[in-house]
Amino acid sequence: MNKVKKLGAIVPVLTLAAGLAACSGGNGKEASPSAGGKSAEATAKASSSAASSQAAGAADTSKFVKVSYVILGDKPKNGQFDAALAEINKLMKQKINAELEWKWVEWADWQTKYNLLLASGDPVDLITIGTDWLDTWGNAQRGAFMNIDDLLPKYAPVTWSSIPQEDWAESKYKGKIVLIPENAYTQWVNHGFFYRGDWAKEAGISEPVKDWDGIEQYLQYIKDNKKNVIPWDATAGVSTFGGWVNSYTQELELPISTGWLPVFATKSVDDPYTVVSPIFDEDTMLNYATKMKSWADKGFWREDVLNYKGDTRTLLKGGMTGLDQHHTQTFGTLRVDMDREQPGSELQMYPFARTNGNLLELSITHGGTSVGAHSKNPERALMAYDLIRNDEQIYRLLNYGIEGVQYEIKDGKRVLPAGYDPKKNEFYSDFWGGRNDKLEIPSSTVWDQLPTTLYAEYDKIKHPYPYGQFVFDKTPVDTELTAISQVTGEMGPSIAFGKAGDPAKAVEAFKTKLKAAGYDKVKAELQKQLDAYKQQMQG
Amino acid sequence: MSAPRTAIRVDGATLLVRTIGYGFIGAFALICLLPFLLVVGTSLTSESSIARHGFNLWPRVFSTFAYKIVFENPDLIIGSYWVTIGITVVGTAVGLFIVAMTGYALQRPDFHYRNRISFFIYFTTLFTGGLVPYFLLINQYLALKDNYLAVLLPGLLSPFLIIMMKSFVRSIPHAITESAKIDGAGDFTIFLRLILPMTTPALATIGLFIAIGYWNEWYNAMLFLSPDMKYRTLQLFLYGVVTSADFVKNSSAASNVDLRDLPLESMKMATAVVATGPVILLYPFVQRFFIKGITVGAVKG
Amino acid sequence: MNSPTAAASPGDSTPHAGTAMPAPGTKRRGTLRTLFANRTLLLMCLPAIVFFLIFSYLPMPGLYLAFVKYNYSDGIFKSPFVGWDNFRFLVITGDLWRLTFNTIAYNVMFILLGNALQIAVAILLNELRNKWFKKISQSLMFLPYFISFVLIGLIAYNILSYDYGLLNGFLKMIGADPVKTYSNPHLWPFIIVVTYLWQSTGYGSIIYFAAVMGLDSEIVEAAEIDGANAIQRIRYIVLPWLKPTFIILLLFSLGGVLRGNFGLFFNLVGANNSALYATTDIIETYVFRSLMTNFNFPMGSAVSLYQSVFGFCVVLSANWLVKRMSPDNSLF
Repeated sequence: MNKVKKLGAIVPVLTLAAGLAACSGGNGKEASPSAGGKSAEATAKASSSAASSQAAGAADTSKFVKVSYVILGDKPKNGQFDAALAEINKLMKQKINAELEWKWVEWADWQTKYNLLLASGDPVDLITIGTDWLDTWGNAQRGAFMNIDDLLPKYAPVTWSSIPQEDWAESKYKGKIVLIPENAYTQWVNHGFFYRGDWAKEAGISEPVKDWDGIEQYLQYIKDNKKNVIPWDATAGVSTFGGWVNSYTQELELPISTGWLPVFATKSVDDPYTVVSPIFDEDTMLNYATKMKSWADKGFWREDVLNYKGDTRTLLKGGMTGLDQHHTQTFGTLRVDMDREQPGSELQMYPFARTNGNLLELSITHGGTSVGAHSKNPERALMAYDLIRNDEQIYRLLNYGIEGVQYEIKDGKRVLPAGYDPKKNEFYSDFWGGRNDKLEIPSSTVWDQLPTTLYAEYDKIKHPYPYGQFVFDKTPVDTELTAISQVTGEMGPSIAFGKAGDPAKAVEAFKTKLKAAGYDKVKAELQKQLDAYKQQMQG
Repeated sequence: MSAPRTAIRVDGATLLVRTIGYGFIGAFALICLLPFLLVVGTSLTSESSIARHGFNLWPRVFSTFAYKIVFENPDLIIGSYWVTIGITVVGTAVGLFIVAMTGYALQRPDFHYRNRISFFIYFTTLFTGGLVPYFLLINQYLALKDNYLAVLLPGLLSPFLIIMMKSFVRSIPHAITESAKIDGAGDFTIFLRLILPMTTPALATIGLFIAIGYWNEWYNAMLFLSPDMKYRTLQLFLYGVVTSADFVKNSSAASNVDLRDLPLESMKMATAVVATGPVILLYPFVQRFFIKGITVGAVKG
Repeated sequence: MNSPTAAASPGDSTPHAGTAMPAPGTKRRGTLRTLFANRTLLLMCLPAIVFFLIFSYLPMPGLYLAFVKYNYSDGIFKSPFVGWDNFRFLVITGDLWRLTFNTIAYNVMFILLGNALQIAVAILLNELRNKWFKKISQSLMFLPYFISFVLIGLIAYNILSYDYGLLNGFLKMIGADPVKTYSNPHLWPFIIVVTYLWQSTGYGSIIYFAAVMGLDSEIVEAAEIDGANAIQRIRYIVLPWLKPTFIILLLFSLGGVLRGNFGLFFNLVGANNSALYATTDIIETYVFRSLMTNFNFPMGSAVSLYQSVFGFCVVLSANWLVKRMSPDNSLF
């Protein structure tokens, strides 16, 4: 019984629900944007500012306007960002007679806020998007963004000409450009296990781990030999089924969310247009469930893992657990942290793709920027974007802060200045909407061997991303997809952590429920749309 | 305070009731206190000790680091405190007055429209327009974005409190109103001069409820006060401290944020202590109004 | 100030000479006259009426959202109408009945046990004589209300966890077998109800306490002089006195009988442990799993509407019953 119902009455259940989504984050599937990888190849000077001010000259900038940019993150409280923004705005004023407003959508209940801004028709100018984690195609379908085909060449000429046509093709919804992709920034967000090199060596594992059995051997060693260490102190937010599919099949992940774990995939790189299901086809799911049940029975994680809310990464840094799971960018910074916190730990990553060489390049629309449908100044907004993305001075101010205060350049690397006070001088802008390798400077907080180890390995096995132009129209199966999401959320975690009893029976029950939720209908619709996509790509 | 009855001899049944009373209330109060001590204790424990040993009433490894983080920007937290206090005081005063006035009018048996208005008010607890229209209303039609009124106004009244007030005022005999009317007093005067002073316990209760509502408010603040405002409500500030850390640790979203030694669990506890503290002090103050004698009985003399 | 002579008794509903009885005559004239006669009282209600008009009734047409495929560019009312489509995800897996049952069963437990406990606390507090004890214990009982559900969830895990929990630590100490709380669904209704009571009793009892305080001390004294002991006093004076308050609280909570306490369930049970869902899944947690990945506003509205209509029907019937049995206590 809710006594004071003010809130409860006003806010529908949806919001209450979303309120906690942020807390339950870390869902392996929703890869988060990463500000980590600063793997620029060179710091070649982009002679872009001249070009864009030329374009600005062509446009009418007589009226001073404010351009808002919605990004996700908590506004830094030390005023350093405002200082850098003021510098940026001096340049903005001078070049395009505009002022940039950085609109932070805080992590507290960010899903509600982000979606409300779009749903309520708020006149936002620029907004961060991500097709795989911000439901950007869904929002495009609902008419949240402006078509910018005609505006781009005139108002964002540098961006327009620097992005190749095939990348623009991946930014279109129904033939119209609705977003600007972050296509010029190197990052890898493929997932894998992180394990300690020193413990692996003790366990007699001298080669890099190349499958889940290797991880099992490693965990078993910890279980038997390390007192007070939980081999993998996991939380149930971590979904590894996608990783298993990645390791043990040639199936490709589709850009369609089915909730807690992927229900649909396509056959392989050679046949990327045939829909399959790692749950229904062959025994992928059963093998996975059986393996996880055995890990659970061996005590690799807590008995109450499904309710445990601890922080695996902190425990890893504290030497209290031996395994963590996330993507390559995270590994890049975590390795540096671990070298400091647990000297000699030699943290390693086993990317799931290693086992079968099944690796796709990252979709270029993992990050990007769109213009809001109700924007009042789309022209100036694009002009501002062109500067943010291509003007070296503005780019560095926005991404790194003020030189001498936030960073110094030493031997081509960004380092912290001598008098740097982490509290007073800390800086970040959370700009994930069009970072640019050309203007990036490598940072000392990212493991410097990343390019020579993992990146080099990936380059050998990677395949081009085949679904860049595929936009799944969910409308005909919205209900079924929602129901399927519910089912995966209900039964997925207990199967994934071996807490669902007999694996064979659990997987059967899971299939039955998925069928009831409309699995067949969604699969048929998906196949239909993929067939059309195939025509489009081949015809 | 409750002197009149203590003089009467205490019979067996009364003694029994009192024994049960002391025992039951005492035990229940203790059960309520223990988890809170756990919260205080944990907030003073170092993060690694929590990870190893779980929560404890008494910190194994003492640390005030969590409070340091929460109070990292004392200016901000003090500002947020003032905002919350301001909104709470103004909102409670205004809200309480309107609630009391409406409650009184609605319980008047001679008020022709009382059932219709009661239903009009009650109906809003059942059906609501939903989040999108509500957001549009406040953000665009009322244009209260980045305005403290966006937090203050929606919290003023609640159907529940109005109906509660209505039922409280009912314990004052209608005859009081009647006779005052015969003396020529207007309805509003009767309410202001006669009824209000007689309903102190009710006002204290309802005021407390409104105040707590404002004190705990973060949702409207989250929706309508942007981070561009330097000071927002206390709970939103604290909620932000906890969720951002929570979110960030689970993703690499903001890997430039230094979270190496973030005391996550202890920080959650510390925020609870910081947010609750003042209210614990507030309650005994409110209790003073729950005094027998000011109410109906006294007037009758 | 005149001293009224009539003493009121609990639930007293003396018929009062209507100052505003509609006079016979044409309907229109009568309406106007009634309006005029009630003008002050109406004006006194005006702020509240305006408030609810703006903050509650103005957004209410937005419920239409539950019936459209929402297009952000077109707005709610120009979006295509899709009928009951947004409701289908609730019924498609056949879980709706179980969810509705769970939600109602929990709420009924909360309402009945919650009110019983709150009344008991209020009455017992009133019987106590030690001022300091009363003050301190009342303040302490208030504390849980300020601990967020997130923390309550964490505390519960620390007590109940299998390997490291305080409970199992204690059980092992006395040589008993540890319990696997998080894989035993039958324990959870108990745990959830107890947590609810623990959290809300102090806060909720304030209302009853204030009501008891409003009790006419003359009546109580008269009863004492007549030789009534504490039990009789409670039985024949205090309890009947609290009846109207109870009925109002009851009617209020019935309106939300299909609305679950998301924070409580989500943080205690978690979003991942399907072993416990048979006894702990409520509408809110189900919807959370359904919609957390695709943020679908119309489907959220649809669920909300289902809960509202259901609550509305329950309240109408309950109010009708109350009106028949004790007209003075009905809500409207």
